[in-house]
Amino acid sequence: MSFFRDLEREDYDRTYRDRDLVVRLAGYFRPERRRVLIAALATGLIAAGEAASPIMVSQGVGLLEQDPAAPQAAWIAAALFLVGGLVWSVNWIRRRMLTRAVGAVMLDLRTEAFAATAAHDLAFYDEHASGKVVSRITSDTNEFAQVAVLVTDVASEVLQVAILILVLLRLEWSLTLWVLGMIPVFLVVALGFRRLARHAIRRSMRGIANVNASIKEAVTGITVAKNFRQERAIYTEFDQVNRQSYAANVRRGFVLSVVFPTLNAMMGFGTALMVFLGGLSAGRGAVAVGAWYLFMRSLDRFWFPILSLSAFWSQIQGGLSAAERVFALIDTESQVRQTGQLKIPRLQGRIHFDQVDFRYHPKEPVLEGFSLSIEPGESLALVGHTGAGKTSIVKLITRFYEFQSGQVLVDGLDLRSLDLHDFRRQIGLVSQNPFLFAGTVTDNIRYARPHVSDQEIDALARRIGSGEWLETLPQGLLTKVGERGGRLSMGQRQLVSLMRVLVQRPAIFILDEATANIDPFTESQIQEALQLILAETTSILIAHRLSTVRACDRIVVLRQGRVIEQGDHDRLIAQGGHYAELYNTYFRHQSLAYIQQARLAAAAS
Amino acid sequence: MSVAEFVVRLPHARDHRSAARWILSHVTDHPRIVLTTFVGAFGNATLAAAVPVLLGQAFNLVLQGGEIQAGLGRIALTIILTQVVRGVLQLGRNFGSDLLGQRLERDIRQELYASLLGKSMTFHNLQPVGDTMARATNDVREIGLMFNPGFNLVIGSANFMLLPLIVAPSYHPSLLLVPALFTISYAFAVWAYLRELRPVSEEVRRTFGEMNTQVSEALDGIEVVKGHAQEAQEVERFSINASAFRDAFVRQGDIEARYLPLLLLGLAEAGSFLHAILLFRQGSLDLGGLIAFMGLIQLLGFPTFVSLFAYSQVSLGMAGARRILDLILRETQLDQNPTGHSGPMRGELEFREVGFSYGEGKVALSGLTFKVRPGQTLAIVGQTGSGKTSLAKLINRIHDVSTGQVLVDGIDVRDWNLASLREQISIIEQDVFLFSRSIAQNIAFGQPSAPEAAIQLAAGQAQAHEFIRGFQEGYGSIVGERGVTLSGGQRQRVALARAFLTDPRVLILDDSTSSIDSATEDEIQRAIFQASQGRTTVIITHRLSQIRWADLILVLRDGRMAALGTHEELMDRSPAYRRIFQRLAD
Repeated sequence: MSFFRDLEREDYDRTYRDRDLVVRLAGYFRPERRRVLIAALATGLIAAGEAASPIMVSQGVGLLEQDPAAPQAAWIAAALFLVGGLVWSVNWIRRRMLTRAVGAVMLDLRTEAFAATAAHDLAFYDEHASGKVVSRITSDTNEFAQVAVLVTDVASEVLQVAILILVLLRLEWSLTLWVLGMIPVFLVVALGFRRLARHAIRRSMRGIANVNASIKEAVTGITVAKNFRQERAIYTEFDQVNRQSYAANVRRGFVLSVVFPTLNAMMGFGTALMVFLGGLSAGRGAVAVGAWYLFMRSLDRFWFPILSLSAFWSQIQGGLSAAERVFALIDTESQVRQTGQLKIPRLQGRIHFDQVDFRYHPKEPVLEGFSLSIEPGESLALVGHTGAGKTSIVKLITRFYEFQSGQVLVDGLDLRSLDLHDFRRQIGLVSQNPFLFAGTVTDNIRYARPHVSDQEIDALARRIGSGEWLETLPQGLLTKVGERGGRLSMGQRQLVSLMRVLVQRPAIFILDEATANIDPFTESQIQEALQLILAETTSILIAHRLSTVRACDRIVVLRQGRVIEQGDHDRLIAQGGHYAELYNTYFRHQSLAYIQQARLAAAAS
Repeated sequence: MSVAEFVVRLPHARDHRSAARWILSHVTDHPRIVLTTFVGAFGNATLAAAVPVLLGQAFNLVLQGGEIQAGLGRIALTIILTQVVRGVLQLGRNFGSDLLGQRLERDIRQELYASLLGKSMTFHNLQPVGDTMARATNDVREIGLMFNPGFNLVIGSANFMLLPLIVAPSYHPSLLLVPALFTISYAFAVWAYLRELRPVSEEVRRTFGEMNTQVSEALDGIEVVKGHAQEAQEVERFSINASAFRDAFVRQGDIEARYLPLLLLGLAEAGSFLHAILLFRQGSLDLGGLIAFMGLIQLLGFPTFVSLFAYSQVSLGMAGARRILDLILRETQLDQNPTGHSGPMRGELEFREVGFSYGEGKVALSGLTFKVRPGQTLAIVGQTGSGKTSLAKLINRIHDVSTGQVLVDGIDVRDWNLASLREQISIIEQDVFLFSRSIAQNIAFGQPSAPEAAIQLAAGQAQAHEFIRGFQEGYGSIVGERGVTLSGGQRQRVALARAFLTDPRVLILDDSTSSIDSATEDEIQRAIFQASQGRTTVIITHRLSQIRWADLILVLRDGRMAALGTHEELMDRSPAYRRIFQRLAD
């Protein structure tokens, strides 16, 4: 029942004006204007037809009252058949036109929204949870479509009411005034009920969320409960929550159950009034019997449209909010802007940061006056506490974020002047939680270079630890990795990502090392793969593993956005500065010395 | 000795032979509500039909002429009265069906949960939590919706179609014709419509899901997409999916546009008018009767406009019921062996030529043979999929071996009393689950009556005491969203404390994590050391410090033993093992 729709909607702060939204939406409908016009005409015809029905019957009744044998009455019956068939056919046409028009608009809107979103820079993705963005592209556009259909439905109903009222006014205006007076009363009560229903629903939704959370815990904890033989205890808890939720839902159910009975009773009042006043009028001869009949029929016809109207405004608002969310997505401005589109040959990989300032938010500077030079083929390990700036440096090189001042040069060229697509093709990036697309391992490995042969990939895979890692995949290279690579372990995903980079053979390699949960054999293999990459590219590694740090040519120590120490591991340790402290905090437990002492140390406490 | 698996006795027996019978057995628990609903539905329709009848009377009154005020007044009052009573009856129908739905939801959830609790650990090990959750929440909700608005509207519409059939003949028997024709053709039209619509609705749902999945994936992996400059390709892929959705959407709209009952209603109105005129000319029907009859036909509008989604709601609800019943009936019952060996365990573990596979799938383990003396520590190492976790689950009989034997204290685990076996073996999983209650309650979970001193002692041994005291509420801090969030290492230590309190003889620890900082690593080392003192410990681990110092190391590769021995022995014999430590030796 459309009356109960859109009650759970959260309030959404609107910034776009209604008028602007409507105009913009209308623009999307322009290519479909032929269909929209036909639908509009159809709507008018349907309204006329629907109004005509009771009018014709009332005429018929009037005729029959005066002359039972009147042949016109039979003509009217025939006309009714015709109108019935016509209304249905025209409605068919209307729905078909509408569906196509709305379908086309949805497609356009969606495609534009997705294309715009894919083009946004990474700062956008930091601020917006991807789930919400997806829902704007898929669900909000859907919602807007439903509202578009709703508008024509309501328009048809309102038009029908208007036609009837006009006819009624011409017949007997004082009775019509009574009818007109009932409409606002009805509307107000309906609106009041919607507000009541909204409260009840909101409260019960909280209750439902609680129950679901409790069920989730109860179900997830069953194994532990069985482990410790505490089944009775958690059953009792579950039972309690179950009953509480039931009580809350019953309360809500009652509130919602009262709505229509009350409205029906009110209709009863209205009808009774019409019977009494109208009957008296007809008795006096002030109104024809047929006309009186029309009054009675019309009351019935107003009921549904009024209910629809009471929900209409908030549904429209809902639709406009949905449209706004989609437009906001499209309109977001990119911060990363290139000044040129320079095509570049194969890069050597010389990178130079010159007095770079960078901040994510105006008040929190991340890099200040940052300078760093990287030679082609060099491998660099970035170390520092969280927030020291390691990730930011990497994100600036890949042009995922825009820096505020200073210069970044690649092979002597200003980074901002390069063609981004070309440039990015020459970078190989593996992030901390490697992402894989659903498909096979081979599909993922060749993502950046689709034309690489299966044999080449196979040969490459076997260079790592004699291909032992392939045994851990159920179908070898043809194993399906699942959504986001979820069927593989973290270590396996890292390996596949590194393979991808090896196939890509970029000029610059960037790695944000995973920190957790990889078994020693896989780690060995990852190190091997890394060595292969490091030998061929300029590499920048945010290092969390001791072995990675020691495999690099140079260690760069960062603190609060500045380089404070540089060099190789032994020299930095000897210096006893910030690096030594970092080592002690993050890397000490990865050293051989630590492992050899582990048992003694543990027993000694 | 009690049976190992738990049983809740619920008050009513249930008919599990089919989903429909099962739902019915629940419904018959509440006869008064069912009665109220049906009475309400019938009463509502009857009193709704009263209005056109009274209108007909009013018309006749006016046509007669004369002093009509009193008569009209009486009719008007009757209308008001009947509609108010009708409101009450309709409330009975609405609330009755809603209450029934809510009660069924509550009772079915209870039945499902009790049944889950009674199932073996094997079952829970195989059954994905997400799937259970979906059934316990969504499918149960569908059942509730099946009653209200589902059955509510279905019964309501049925009555609204019934009333004209009952009342019309009271004016003239032949007037049965038009409503009867409508009812028959309506039933057929709805059946045909739903049958045509179902595959297309499925298609709409499917294409929407695909579109959603692709967008989700592209946005989650946007770094990779941008990093490889693949934006255009992703947009192309999206376009294809979105167009497929649009096509399904249009197909669905076309079917909806053809909704026949709309035509049938229009024809019924016209037909009823024609029929009434003929009777009127004959003199078998007066004008009031004609008007009343036309009004009765209008009652058919309710079923025409409202009942569509009600039918699909009913079928969705039944589908949900089937899924829930399926879960309740599923079982993998291990032999409880109540007469088996029970008694204090020394903690000697032995595997003899053990082989294992999950159902008819790939063989997970084969040819495992090793022996662990009481109090020793066994470290199990291997890559993903090598069978480490499966091995652990054979020890406390979450699964049974396919070939070979697992022996505890020289006795096959299948010959042990299951309860006695499990009481003395404790497993700590990789993803530690803690209940959303206080830390103290979590630690004392296995022994709810444990005194505070014992809890703190256990926490101390697990190196958890310090960080627990660091929280504002200390041991009283609630774990979870509404309280404190614990890191992986902290959860592990709380789980260790939990295990300490129950003092198992054998501890199986899935320690597949690594520490980010050395200070935490120190604590975990100490905690595991304490835990393994005086008990046989099987630890699945990545930590080289644990592997190095275990009494026995087992390297698994592809379900087989690749190497077995002490650290020194393996350094000598296994090149792969040696490589791991050599990497650090620069």
